Amino acid sequence: MEHKAVATSASSHPAAIARLQIERDVIMAMQKPGLMYWGLVGLFATIFAVLLLGTWAALIWKGIGLFGLQNPVGWAFDIINFVFWVGIAHSGTLISAVLFLFRSKYRSSFNRAAEAMTVIAVMCAGMYPLIHLGRGWFFFWLLPYPNQRLLWTNFKSPLEWDVFAVSTYLTISVVFFYVGLIPDFAIVKRYTRGFSRHIYSALSLGWVGTKRQWRNYNMLYSLLAGIAAPLVLSVHSVVSWDFAMGLVPGWHTTIFAPYFVAGAIFSGCGMVLTLCIPMRKIQKLERVMPIDHFEKLAKTMLFTSMIVGYAYTIEFLLAYYSGNVYEFGIFKDRATGYYKYQYWGMVFCNMIVPLPLFIKKLRRNMKWLFITSIFVNIGMWLERFVIIVTSLAHEYDPYAWGVYHPRWPEWCLTIGTFGFFFMMFLLFCKFLPVVAITEKKEEVH
Amino acid sequence: MERIVLQSEHDFLHKLEELVKSGVKPDNIETRTPHPVHHAEDILRMKPSNVRLFVLLGGLAGIATGYLFPSLTALDWPLHVGNKPLVGIPPYTVIAFELMVLFGGLSGFLGLMIEARMPAVRTIISNDEFSDSFEIYVKKD
Repeated sequence: MEHKAVATSASSHPAAIARLQIERDVIMAMQKPGLMYWGLVGLFATIFAVLLLGTWAALIWKGIGLFGLQNPVGWAFDIINFVFWVGIAHSGTLISAVLFLFRSKYRSSFNRAAEAMTVIAVMCAGMYPLIHLGRGWFFFWLLPYPNQRLLWTNFKSPLEWDVFAVSTYLTISVVFFYVGLIPDFAIVKRYTRGFSRHIYSALSLGWVGTKRQWRNYNMLYSLLAGIAAPLVLSVHSVVSWDFAMGLVPGWHTTIFAPYFVAGAIFSGCGMVLTLCIPMRKIQKLERVMPIDHFEKLAKTMLFTSMIVGYAYTIEFLLAYYSGNVYEFGIFKDRATGYYKYQYWGMVFCNMIVPLPLFIKKLRRNMKWLFITSIFVNIGMWLERFVIIVTSLAHEYDPYAWGVYHPRWPEWCLTIGTFGFFFMMFLLFCKFLPVVAITEKKEEVH
Repeated sequence: MERIVLQSEHDFLHKLEELVKSGVKPDNIETRTPHPVHHAEDILRMKPSNVRLFVLLGGLAGIATGYLFPSLTALDWPLHVGNKPLVGIPPYTVIAFELMVLFGGLSGFLGLMIEARMPAVRTIISNDEFSDSFEIYVKKD
């Protein structure tokens, strides 16, 4: 994208200078990427194309029998990755909507990146039910329409609720993301020439910041934040009910909804940090993304880590107190059985690693935060593995117990989705303003 | 039409107050600001946006659809399973909630387009830009 050297005539007023500085910092981040940047995009695109699309093609060609799934574990990486990515998506809306309602200032540094992350992560999550269908082109069978015998879908099933929850979440996230971008597209239009100017102009929908536009925009934005906040809670609660409504020991518990929501926010905070720390450095956004804001996000992550840790502990107590041998059996098996390394890995990553963030110095240390966030991502992925696989592998009848080993398609798909996710995020960083410019300007007085 | 360009929010609000006090009708004042200025809406005595009605109506339509659609389909082919009621209100509440958010959000977006007169095709194709200064346009009676 090309830039005009000077977009507006500089004013000597300090507020005008500060506003212009914000604009330029963010627009500069959108400058034409170098060869290294394109190389990185190419690398992730290759990972996506070869590992994800290639494996998907193989799964369609040969069938999903290529997965390592067999009795008793008939549901593993596809649903693990689905829950993982939906969870990642949640923090985007949380940072954006909930912090907007609470008028938290640190929101403005992350909200755009977090919203982009939400949209991309929901796309990643959405791929898995399609992959798991085997014949992905029959995806419309999930939608509520009657079959040949005029029998409708079962609206009492959590899996059908999921169709409504996830598609609503994707649509509303896109609307929320786009509405927030409208004024910023108009600013980018001012800085661009040629064909891109037409594109950004069309995307800005003719925004010029009149009183009528701002008044209606503010109303919609507040209301969207108001309805998106409970939507976050509902979507991950619905995802948790996919499990909790089943009579599988380890799943059938009432704490699943809040437990999943806290885990989702925790993992989302981790992923926002994983993405924003390198982005801040590469895009030279130190001025618009101050360390104070990262510290506050680290506090949120630490807080949700403790909620998750509490859930891990109380689950054991509930299983013991229930007096149900199957329920307690599965929990003992998680900690001491075949998958104990995954279980203790999860405890280490999610409960122990974030604890040093109680120290202020470490919360303000970008390298420490980045490393912690990687552990959180791994830990939260392991959490889903532990919940799903250990429960299915160790149900009621010892004769029916078994173990599950993932095969190459599972690993390829998992790594391939990360390729897609990072490729999309890198493209977002160069084609859209990564920080909400007008909101940052509002903070200038 | 008179155009006044200012560089700070403070000067902008001050000028607006001055204009309204001097007897200029708020309807004759048009503004352009680089970010929302909430106090300006009070000075110009603007009514709350109608977008909220769009969201409300969309949300209510979503709730109605969320309960009616599954109920009618269940009654269309009655399948009794485990002596459970044919029409289950608690499970349909999930559908109703999701559709409330979906319809409310989408109709709110439509409301923004209608109320803010967007997309403004003339502005899109012209060189008119969203500037970084606070502008006041005063229409003469």
